[in-house]
Amino acid sequence: MLIGIDVGGTYTDGVLFSDGAVVHSVKSPTDETDLKATLLLVLDELLAHGIRDEVHRVVLGTTLITNLLATGQGERTALLLMPGSGLPYGSYRICPETYFLKGGIDFRGREIDPPDKKEIELVLREVDRAGILRVAVAGKFSHRNDSHEKFVRERIGELYPAMEVCLSNEVSGRLNFPRRAVTCYYTAMTMREWNRFADGIEAAIRDRIPSCEVHILKADGGTTTLEGSRKRPCETVFSGPAASTMGAMALSRETLNSVVVDMGGTTSDICLLIDGRPLNASKGATIEGRLTHVSSFAVHSIALGGDSSLRMEDGSLRVGPLRLGPAVCFGGDTPTVTDAFNVLMDLNLGDIKASRTKIEALAAEAGQSVEALCLAVADRVTSTLKDAIRRMFTEWEDEPAYKVWEVVNKRKFVLHRVIGIGAAAPAIIPLLSRELGVDYFLHPYSPVANALGAAVSRPTLAMEVHVDTQKRTYSGAPGGFSGPVKERDYQVHDAVKLARMLLAELSRQRRLSVYSEDAQVYLEEQFNMIRGMGLAGKLFDVGIQITPGFIEEFKGVDL
Amino acid sequence: MKPTGVLFFPAFDWAISPTHPEREERLLYTRDQLFEEGIMDMDEISEYHPRLASFKEVSRTHFCVPSVDTRVTQAHLVSAGSALVMADAFMKGEVKNAFAIIRPPGHHAMTVSHGNRGFCDINNEAVMVEYLRQTYGVRRIAIVDTDVHHGDGTQEIFWHDPDVLFISFHQDGRTLYPGSGFDDELGGPLAFGTTINIPLAPRTTDTGIHYVLDNLVLPLLDEFKPEVVINSAGQDNHYSDPLSNMSFTAQGYAALTTRLKPDIAVLEGGYSVETALPYINMGIIMALAGIDYSNLREPDYDPARFKETADNMRYLRALVDQQLAVFRQREEVVEKNRRKGEEFASIKRSVFYDTDYLREEQREELRICPRCAGFRRITSAATQRTGQRYTVFCVSLPRACCESCAEEARDSYEEMKDRPAFDYVYLQDRILDEFRTFDTKAEVESLL
Ligand SMILES: [Zn+2]
Ligand SMILES: [Zn+2]
Repeated sequence: MLIGIDVGGTYTDGVLFSDGAVVHSVKSPTDETDLKATLLLVLDELLAHGIRDEVHRVVLGTTLITNLLATGQGERTALLLMPGSGLPYGSYRICPETYFLKGGIDFRGREIDPPDKKEIELVLREVDRAGILRVAVAGKFSHRNDSHEKFVRERIGELYPAMEVCLSNEVSGRLNFPRRAVTCYYTAMTMREWNRFADGIEAAIRDRIPSCEVHILKADGGTTTLEGSRKRPCETVFSGPAASTMGAMALSRETLNSVVVDMGGTTSDICLLIDGRPLNASKGATIEGRLTHVSSFAVHSIALGGDSSLRMEDGSLRVGPLRLGPAVCFGGDTPTVTDAFNVLMDLNLGDIKASRTKIEALAAEAGQSVEALCLAVADRVTSTLKDAIRRMFTEWEDEPAYKVWEVVNKRKFVLHRVIGIGAAAPAIIPLLSRELGVDYFLHPYSPVANALGAAVSRPTLAMEVHVDTQKRTYSGAPGGFSGPVKERDYQVHDAVKLARMLLAELSRQRRLSVYSEDAQVYLEEQFNMIRGMGLAGKLFDVGIQITPGFIEEFKGVDL
Repeated sequence: MKPTGVLFFPAFDWAISPTHPEREERLLYTRDQLFEEGIMDMDEISEYHPRLASFKEVSRTHFCVPSVDTRVTQAHLVSAGSALVMADAFMKGEVKNAFAIIRPPGHHAMTVSHGNRGFCDINNEAVMVEYLRQTYGVRRIAIVDTDVHHGDGTQEIFWHDPDVLFISFHQDGRTLYPGSGFDDELGGPLAFGTTINIPLAPRTTDTGIHYVLDNLVLPLLDEFKPEVVINSAGQDNHYSDPLSNMSFTAQGYAALTTRLKPDIAVLEGGYSVETALPYINMGIIMALAGIDYSNLREPDYDPARFKETADNMRYLRALVDQQLAVFRQREEVVEKNRRKGEEFASIKRSVFYDTDYLREEQREELRICPRCAGFRRITSAATQRTGQRYTVFCVSLPRACCESCAEEARDSYEEMKDRPAFDYVYLQDRILDEFRTFDTKAEVESLL
C-alpha cells in the first residue's frame, strides 16, 4: 500500500493506493500555520482505511519551503560571494547580507586570484558580530574548482565552529553563478526550519508505521528520501504542479504531446508533456522572482480557476481573479466559473439549481440571456487558457539553439491531447479541448491526481561531470566530486562511465540506489583543444539523470 | 529601457577542419563565461533563437556558384539567418541594440562566391543589409568593421553603393591577410568616399584605435547620418590573438562599443579562443547593454603593459585628417566621374580564396549612369575545390537604381542567356526581388 499526500495552498489531498486502485482519498483544508498537523490529520484518516503494516511508502508534497521563502521566514543568512572578474558586484543584489571576497577561478577551473585569508577573517568577524549563524558561500566557476569555497569553509570551521556553511558547488554543478549562489543561499536559509519539520514528521510517521519509507516530492517530479532532503530543502519547492503532472502521467500513461491543465480553485497550472515526458524549465525554478538551479517542470500558472468569481463591474463582466468562496453549487454565495459551466453544460455538479438561480440573476444584471452569459464566461476562460498554452508552445520552440542540427530540425509542438486534472476540470476541459481542436482525457481519479502522482513517483537524481584531459582533472556536481583522470585515449564513453559511477555513488549516499541503473545521458559534449597546430587535450561535459517516472510496483490504474 | 538582444550561436557541431582556427572550440569558453556570469538572465538582455537564412535572402547579396544550395552549408545559413533575427529584433523595436555572436564569420566573402575565403563563404552583414532594405525599406547604412583583418568582402560588395558607408580599420595589408585595405581604396567612381580604410601599424594599442574612433569614425557617422549602424565585430585586434600582431584589450573593445553605439553588432574573427574571446564577447554585451564593465578583465590584464608610440600617433593623426578630407569631397569627385561621359567603368581582378586554395578571374563593369549609382555586370571563372570549373555571368541591379538601368540590366541578362561561353547566367533583380539563374547547358531557368 502506498500513500501520497499533497499539501496545497487551500486544500491538502491524500490518497491510499493499492493494487491499481485508490482505496481511500481525503481532502482537508490546509492549516498554513501548522503543516505538520495538517499532514498528520490526513495521514491518520488514510491509515484508518488501510492496513497499517502494509503501507510501505509515504510520499509528501509540501509547501513549507515555498511558504518560508515567500513570507521571509527563512533564517538570517550571510552570503559570501567570490565573483572574481566580470559583472560588477552591484549586479549581485541577492540578499541584504552579501559580502564579497577576493578569489578568482576561470572557466577551466584555474586559479586567477587566490583567496585572502585576512579578508575572510574580517568578513567572518562581521558576520559573527551581526549574530548570523548561517553562511552560504559561492564562487564563480566553483563547480570547476571548489578549492576556494572549501578554503572559506575551513576557515569558518576553525574560527566559528557554530556557524553552519553551505557551499554552492555542493548544491549544483551547472554553469550560472548567480543561480548557483541564489540556490545555495536559499538552501542555507531554510535548512534549519526544514530539518525541524523533517524531525517532527519522521518521528510521527515512525510512531504510526515503523518500517515505512518516507519520501518528499520535488519540483522536478521525482522524490527524494526525507533524509536526502535535509541538505537540499530547496528542491521541495513547487511540488504541487509536479504532483499534478505526475498524476496526469500516471492516469493517462501515454506517449503523446499533451498539455496538462490542473484546474484548481483560484489558479490553474499548465504543464507540457512532450512524447509523454514532462517538459523541464530550461532556466530552473524561479523562487521569489529569482532564477535558481532547482530543477523543475516548466509550469505556467494563471490566476483563473473553478472558484474564480463572476460579477458585473461598470457594466461589464469580470471573471476572477478573486476567489470569494466555493461555487454556489457547492454552497458558496457568489457565482463562479464552475457555476457557469454547470448551467451551460448541465453538469449536475452539486446543487445545480442553486447555480442556475445565481447565474440567472447575474444574466439579468448584465441584460443578457443566461446562455449568452455562460458562453461569455466559457469564452473568457478557454481563450485565457488557450493563450497561455500557445505561449508555452512558442517558448519551447524558441529555446536558444547552439548546434546547427538543432536549428535545421527546428522543433514544432503538435498538440495531441488535453489532460484535465483537479476539481473543476470536468467542467472546463471538454470545452477547452474543442477550442484547441484536440481530444481530451479525464479520469474518475482526476480530482485526486495530485496525491496519486506523489504516491507513485520514483526518485530522481542528476549528475554533471566536466573532464579536462589537459589539466587531467574531473569535477562532478552536485556533491563536490573531483579527482584526477588518466589522459591517454580518454574518450567520451569514459566520461559517461565516470558520470554513471558518480551518480551511483551519490544515489548510495542519499539511499536512492534502486533506480540509478535507469539513468539517462541528457548532455554529451566533447571538444578538442587545439593549441598551436596540435591537440592539447579534450574537454568533456556529460550530464546524466534518473528521469521522472514511476516506482516499479506501479503498473497503472484500474478502472 | 529596452534590452539588448543577444543571439549566441556557437555552431558546436561545425568546423572548417578539426584543427582549423574556425572550429567547434572557438566559442566554447565564451559560452562558459557568458553562462557562468548569468548575463542572459539579466533584465538588460534578451536572448534569441537562430534561424536559417533562405536561399533567396542569400541571393539578394551573392552569386553563389553554381547555386546557393551546392555552395553553402547549413552552418552558413544559420549564421546569416541569426544576423537576420537580430535585424528583426532591432527594427521591430524589441531591443535597443543587438549582438549576433555567431560563427562561421562572413566579412571576407565577396559578391561572387566560388568557395571559402578567409574562413568565410557568405557575408553575414551584407546579407543583413539587403534584408534591412527589402523588409524595412532602410536605405542609408553604415558598417564599421573592427576586425583586425581588412573586411575586403564587405568592401567589394558595397564598393559601388553610395548608400552604404563602409569603414574598416585593420592591421596594415602589407603585414596581414588579405593584403588589402589601403588608404587609397575609397570606393567606385559613383560611390567614391563611402569606403574608408584605416590601415594600422602592428602593435597599435587601445589608445591609437580610440583616437581613430573619436576623430574619424564618429565624425564620419555624424555626417553620413545612417539609419542603421552595423559593427562587424571582429575580436582579433586583441594582444593575445595568434593570427595578428595588435595590442587591443577587452576593456578597449568594450569602450569602443560604448562610443560607437552600433545598432547591430555581428561577430567576425577572433581566434584567441581562451585568453581573449570570453572576455571581449562579455565586454561587448555589457557595453551594448549599458552595464558597467570596469570589473571585467583578462587574467593577465595590465593597463600599463601597452603604450602607444609617438610615431604611431603622428601617423594616425595624419591619416585621420586625410580620410576626413576625402570623405568631405566625395560628392564633388562623383560628379566629376559622371561628367567624364564614360558608358561603363570596368576593372579586372583576380581573387584568391585562401581557405579553399582556388583563384577566380573576374571582370566587372559598372554602368556610369547620369541618374543613379548604376548596375553591375560581372564575368567570373574559377576551378572550384571539387575540380569543377565554372564560367558565369552575373547582372546585379541595386534597389536604388533608375528605370533605364533596370531595363538595360534585365536586357543584358536575356542577351547573355544565349552565350554558350557561360555555364550559368544570373540576374539579381533587387527591384522586383527576383533572383534568376539560367543554366545554359540544360537551358533551364530557376527563380528565387
Ligand atoms: Zn579577422
Ligand atoms: Zn541609372
